[in-house]
Amino acid sequence: MSKPKIGIFGMTGCAGEQIVILNCEDELMDILKVLDIRSFHTAMSKNDEKCNLDIAFVEGALVQPEEEISLKEIRKRSRLLIALGTCAVWGGVAAMKNEVSRQRLKDIVYGSPGRIFKSIPAQPLHSFVKVDFSISGCPIEKEQFLQAVASLVHGDIPVLPKYAVCTECKINENTCLLLEKSELCLGPITVAGCNARCANCGIPCSGCRGPVEEANIASEVEILKEKGFTLGDINNQLRTFAGPAEAIQTHLAKR
Amino acid sequence: MQIVKLPKQNLDKFIKSLSKFGQIYAPIKKDANTSLFSKIEDSSQIDLGYNRTLLPPKKYFLPPIDTMFKFSAEAGYEEMEHDLNEKSILLGVHSCDIHGLRILDLVFSGRYVDNYYFTGRKNTSIIGVSCIPDDMCFCRSMGTDFVENGFDLFLSDIDQSYLVRIATSLGDDMVRASQSLFKEVGKEEIEEHKKKSNEMQKHFKIDLELYNLPEILDLEYESKTWEEIGEKCLSCGSCSMVCPTCYCYDVFDELSLDGKTGERKRRWDSCLFKDYALVAGGTNFRSERSARVKNRYFHKHRGFVAQYGKPSCVGCGRCIQSCPAKINIVEVITKIRSDAYV
Repeated sequence: MSKPKIGIFGMTGCAGEQIVILNCEDELMDILKVLDIRSFHTAMSKNDEKCNLDIAFVEGALVQPEEEISLKEIRKRSRLLIALGTCAVWGGVAAMKNEVSRQRLKDIVYGSPGRIFKSIPAQPLHSFVKVDFSISGCPIEKEQFLQAVASLVHGDIPVLPKYAVCTECKINENTCLLLEKSELCLGPITVAGCNARCANCGIPCSGCRGPVEEANIASEVEILKEKGFTLGDINNQLRTFAGPAEAIQTHLAKR
Repeated sequence: MQIVKLPKQNLDKFIKSLSKFGQIYAPIKKDANTSLFSKIEDSSQIDLGYNRTLLPPKKYFLPPIDTMFKFSAEAGYEEMEHDLNEKSILLGVHSCDIHGLRILDLVFSGRYVDNYYFTGRKNTSIIGVSCIPDDMCFCRSMGTDFVENGFDLFLSDIDQSYLVRIATSLGDDMVRASQSLFKEVGKEEIEEHKKKSNEMQKHFKIDLELYNLPEILDLEYESKTWEEIGEKCLSCGSCSMVCPTCYCYDVFDELSLDGKTGERKRRWDSCLFKDYALVAGGTNFRSERSARVKNRYFHKHRGFVAQYGKPSCVGCGRCIQSCPAKINIVEVITKIRSDAYV
């Protein structure tokens, strides 16, 4: 069986997912044994820009019109397209102020030099193309990436946990930061897979992996309000990583 | 059952003497809010006056994530190696948690005995300890505020000493190995024990009325209360993780990158998770959150009763303490009950 041809691409983001892949130091040789990497600009000098691909891994959000064109090109070339990281899956931090017009943001951030480029409200990949599978995280977890590759290489759909961070946090027997310390923790509505990385260090979950399926935002907001947080604080935290997510948009539209 | 007295000043010596019967696991304080069962290297860490541990002792016999076996294309299946002679002692287990383990024993010793569970369980002796209930304990309602079996020794705190119930020959060996630390029980201690038992009863703040509950649940299957709770529930799974009797697990394979080897694992699952009841073809027979919440209560207080003759809830209060949405099993059942009779 020939090795699947893959490409690793970046839209707008911090390249964190590509760094995570490169940080799989002990596994890189094994990865090369099972994947034929044709395009990976962050790591390679000779990239094939035209060949058909079996899998395209794409990180980053879309914030410029040109990115839509290149993403659609990638989609056309590839049998599977996998969104890597919270920006690609949910829009990420670039989308946290989508309710403010791009023109205004450009003026504030760049001033007059901002005139030389176009900017659109940051959106996840699925707003433009069909995404076959998503691995969220800011950045992604190395183990999840490797497990996903192992499954894909063998023709399986990767199985990643769909439950909330609370589940992992309880398993690690962390003192509950939301209930016992009254901190603004998004653990109950954030998808697991990080092994409650932040809560293990006593830091509340900021929701960087994006919402769980069927996230009960209304109940979470009620709990946080009871803890004394203002709706403004809560909404800012909800928007930080996954503003465009439907569950969060529905909540924000209510007020 | 023989009962002897262990003066508290001898406790530490006794605990040290236990190490020849196995590795000790006991409650320690993680911080001001949290106690947990932990492997004990230094007996001064042990805190027998703890309230409730975050996870129940099930974590030792049904680990949150466990490798069941390895497989490879060439060698086939390879079982995990377990040291069958490795003995452990679980020290400081509350009555409710001993009942919890007895319920898991029942479930895992059914038609298909779960040897993954019993390998560790059979090699672990249990030393119970009495406790003072807090405002989330309802073990009295569940009949789990005392135990008659499921332990080797049980220590009842009577201020200056512990009354030690010896329930098994292993427990007897443990006491005999440090005979000089133990004293006979006199009239004074019996009086003190009675006083303590009475005091304990006064600490209960909540009660759950079990009378005819399975029938009431059946009658209230369509109650609006389930939808109300479904609105609040976050499906976060906290209640299932901390529950001493929730035993559901999910089985999955982890493959090596070359696909030639892999491990079959199981990890804790929860009926509150959306994909718990997802089946082939994409059908989900409990896709509504309210249906999942209802299922959890029905399983504990209706289905389990029908199958095993008692509910699979031991009143430990962990789910009450850990629910972010403050869903309280005692309040839910009380509400359902009043719906049925109003």
